[in-house]
Amino acid sequence: MSLVDSMSMAKPNFQARERILAKLHGRELLNCFQCMKCTSGCTALKLLELKPHEIEKLVNLSLIDELVSSDIIWTCVTCLKCVQRCPQMASPYHVIMVLRNLAVEREAKVPEAFMKAVSLVLESGLAETAQKITTRTMKVCERESLKLPKIGSPRESFQAVFLKALEEK
Amino acid sequence: MTRIGVYVCHCGLNIAGTVDVEKVAEYAKSLPNVVVAKHYTYMCSDPGQRMIQDDIKTRKLDRVVIATCSPRMHEETFRKAVGEAGLNPYLSEIVNLREHVSWPHTHEPEKATEKAKALVRMGVARVRLSEPLKKRKVSVEKNVLVVGGGIAGIQASLDLANAGFKVWLVEKAPSIGGRMAQLDKTFPTLDCSACILTPKMVDVAKHPNVTLLTNSEVVGVKGFVGNFEASILKKPRYVDESRCVGCELCTEVCPVKVPNRFNEKLDQTRAISIYSPHAVPKIAAVNSGYCLRLKTRKDVCGKCLEACEAKAIDFSQKPETIQIRVGGIILAVGSEVFDASKMYEAGYGRFPNVILNMEFERISDASGPTQGKILSPKTGQPPKNMVFIQCIGSRDKRFHEYCCRVGCMVSLKQAILAREKLGEDVNIYVCFNDLRSFGKGYEEFYRRARDMGINFVAGIPSDIRMAADGSLYFDVFERGTNKLLEMHADLVVLANGLVPSEDIKKINELFHASRSADGFLLEAHPKLRPLECSTAGIFLAGTCQGPKDVPDTVAQASGAAAKAMDLLSSGEIELEPLKAIVEKDLCSGCRVCESLCPFLAIEMKNEKEDDAEKIRAEVIEAMCQGCGLCSAACPTGAIKIQQYGNKQVLAQVDAALTETDAKGGN
Amino acid sequence: MKLAIFWGCRILTSQYAYEMSIREVLPKLGVELIDLREALCCGDPVKSVNEFAANYLGARVLALVNLTGLCDVLVPCNRCHFVISEAKHLLGTDEKTRAKVEDLLKEENLKYNPNVRIWHTIDLLHDRVGLDCIKKSVSKPLKGLRLAVHYGCQILRYSSLGRVDDAENPRKLDELIKTIGAETLDYSERLDCCGSALMYGHVDSALSLASSKLKAIQALNVDGLIISCPDCGYMFDAKQKDGASVIGAKLSLPVLYYTQLLGLAVGIAQDKLGLHLNQSPIDQFLTKVPV
Repeated sequence: MSLVDSMSMAKPNFQARERILAKLHGRELLNCFQCMKCTSGCTALKLLELKPHEIEKLVNLSLIDELVSSDIIWTCVTCLKCVQRCPQMASPYHVIMVLRNLAVEREAKVPEAFMKAVSLVLESGLAETAQKITTRTMKVCERESLKLPKIGSPRESFQAVFLKALEEK
Repeated sequence: MTRIGVYVCHCGLNIAGTVDVEKVAEYAKSLPNVVVAKHYTYMCSDPGQRMIQDDIKTRKLDRVVIATCSPRMHEETFRKAVGEAGLNPYLSEIVNLREHVSWPHTHEPEKATEKAKALVRMGVARVRLSEPLKKRKVSVEKNVLVVGGGIAGIQASLDLANAGFKVWLVEKAPSIGGRMAQLDKTFPTLDCSACILTPKMVDVAKHPNVTLLTNSEVVGVKGFVGNFEASILKKPRYVDESRCVGCELCTEVCPVKVPNRFNEKLDQTRAISIYSPHAVPKIAAVNSGYCLRLKTRKDVCGKCLEACEAKAIDFSQKPETIQIRVGGIILAVGSEVFDASKMYEAGYGRFPNVILNMEFERISDASGPTQGKILSPKTGQPPKNMVFIQCIGSRDKRFHEYCCRVGCMVSLKQAILAREKLGEDVNIYVCFNDLRSFGKGYEEFYRRARDMGINFVAGIPSDIRMAADGSLYFDVFERGTNKLLEMHADLVVLANGLVPSEDIKKINELFHASRSADGFLLEAHPKLRPLECSTAGIFLAGTCQGPKDVPDTVAQASGAAAKAMDLLSSGEIELEPLKAIVEKDLCSGCRVCESLCPFLAIEMKNEKEDDAEKIRAEVIEAMCQGCGLCSAACPTGAIKIQQYGNKQVLAQVDAALTETDAKGGN
Repeated sequence: MKLAIFWGCRILTSQYAYEMSIREVLPKLGVELIDLREALCCGDPVKSVNEFAANYLGARVLALVNLTGLCDVLVPCNRCHFVISEAKHLLGTDEKTRAKVEDLLKEENLKYNPNVRIWHTIDLLHDRVGLDCIKKSVSKPLKGLRLAVHYGCQILRYSSLGRVDDAENPRKLDELIKTIGAETLDYSERLDCCGSALMYGHVDSALSLASSKLKAIQALNVDGLIISCPDCGYMFDAKQKDGASVIGAKLSLPVLYYTQLLGLAVGIAQDKLGLHLNQSPIDQFLTKVPV
């Protein structure tokens, strides 16, 4: 036994870290030296307390299981500032995306809206449903009334193949 | 009949841990012409060497194969030992069983042993065809060219001059002193930089063994170690050095304003001026890019001519090129600072209150643009909140991956100076990633800064923003408190690191001095040969080899001088004979070798033969590094490397392809 | 010039003004747009669920472009632009993923084309159509207008992927606006995010981010805010009122798509540009526009 987080009695999960590294297509995560630049500029820090440096460090130390089932990984705004400014190219955003994928795999706390979007894509090809817009003069408009072309549906093969893609680990 | 001795080293467990050295020695015995084969724990040790020497004498060996570690380690050692026993050193051969066998194949001992046997077999096949060779002696010039007049160049020049060597010290600025002259104080002692530097500047300028050439640049280098020919361009000052008294009346009357490079362009000087406050030589120089007379080439202005009482100004001066012959060259060309405007989010160049370490240094210096008063550029008032931000452009894969080594100490020093000058009226913060205070007295210096109430924030901001009044604000997540600190400052100092100078490429080409991946000049070996280039006769000192502080620079400079002395003091040097050699009869004069040689070591010579003019290749032995490129390309096989001719190489190849049979025969 | 056009989801289902203005303005500048036969999601929300599936969708877009026989696709949405660019980059560097994706596409009778160039409205107009061409087409220069610009995040970052403009000091959209006669200004919050990604789970925080930026821009006394992404448009324009109540501020900032602004300068009728659909108070803005 090498390490225990005595705040939560969590033990490191080395296999999970290797999986994350494989999914990241690069090992720069290991280069994070905690300069704090990502967290200092994180769009989601003030409102949602997201600390990208903390997520990097926890994953680096293989303390992953708690993160995967946490709410915090769903607070990222995907502004990509951390990817742009990290001096070691350790990209917390990409790490967070992988953690989200693991959360879905493990059926942890995934916000409904994401799974809804995926089902909608399966059904219709789009992640949103067509909406009616009320103008400033209280007129109601939609694609047809605006003379915009019809939205083409995906071919028949799409659903099955997309489902296959969703099963890829 | 050739009599070969084979010696297999255990190298402790380094080789023996993987390779069955006994079996290899046994196998060697079975090879033709091998009269003795032994194995021993440490061949390079005294008893090991003596074993070889005794065998040479008693068994009348005329070839020796030592199967041991890399020739880079002990080839010289074994050659010397063999030579002392009376055998020509070049009739010995090293076979590498460590780096080539036991280290890469640690997990396959059986295969490793077979490979070791094969390599020994190849070594024996090769050494059988080796010929006795002799080192050649060349005479050398006992003088040195030092390029760069900062503290590194000055120190090296003084050491050499005091030891009796003649030194040419070439500096491209109108005065020597370099970066150290721009510093206010030096860490960790807080010595006044000018006070400790100027005596050395004066000494080197006055030294009878030193020829000081300022406002000059090296423009051409030819030759080889011990016998370099350098061309130096003396750019015109347009001021007669023998007449100028340094009164600066010319500067007072000159109407043309020029950004003051010595003050990091924080203020302006004039088109004719003395370069720096403690300039050596204290002689004015005209900036030809700005001077009206020189730019327009007409007889305009001329105010300086009128004002100069010593009648020292001379617009008819022309550039002059001189040729010198030197035995060694020390490169001390210094470095530059990272252009922080490349890191847009830090705000340098856009926000007036964001400055750099070097700019702060000039502001803090009493001889600088603000007479030593620390102030916030936008308001001109002393700052109430100062923040230093570290690692700007350093430790950053987007810019420079290396640590700049001096940034932390410089900011600590400047924070302490600010506290000393402004007292408790200013809040000082240092935002850092790691605080590196590694040298002698440095940790104590860091403690001093903390004792003075300077605040250390463990975190770097993502970007810096400017409010309407020019003050700066930014957020930093602090590691110790786990809090997001909203910081406001009226002066932000960026610790931008040292980077290779912009003419490093020119230096690289001019002197054949390689660069490492980070762009600085490359030393021959980072641990064992840190003071010299791989090009023989060229030494390195100061920040051109890598960022470093004054103590390390001075130490390296003295070391480089000692190395130059070592090379040149005997008046002659020995050249390794493993060089290219031309068999004239086979040379067709096609010049392919000349065009390929990366060391410019091949010359074409005109020779008369049977009343016809023939061009033949000739090798300049001292420049040749024995790389073999010419030999591989020569269409007639006329040029080859001593000891690496086709016969020897092919014999090795044949030996490699022979099966090792179970009984150990071949 | 001819390009395929990929609209994504948001434009086709709610940000109709962006679609209308693009369909009206681009042909007037010599750009012919070819719609893809199928509408589909680029994979943006799928990234959080299964990155491989998201990359599949991104590659599928490029495969659909391939069907048109064209090598260029205009992607007016920042998020789609990013997702498809990342998919293209990954497939170009990771043999395994590419093979898997190509196998799946084969099952749909689709073929991936790695040579499709991905454009956004901003770089298409700035780099390909060109400022000169745009200037020549301007019949009603928007003199006297002072505008703030919001580029959005996902077309600027991250630089190593190759994005539409410089990540720290983007200038193309500012220049495009200058070319049609209006003035732009720099401001500290320029590169801040609209927060749209948080609408999936943290609506109040998303609205707070968007409206805080609007508040800061409003304080600069500009005539309006120009955007070029349907997600940013949704946050700043459609949700301006809701955002204002979340942070307890009074927001009244006109927000328009650049293509709407360009359409005005080129002399296209306001209703054709979808200007009646903007939810932010742009009527005051329109009075300042020369007729």
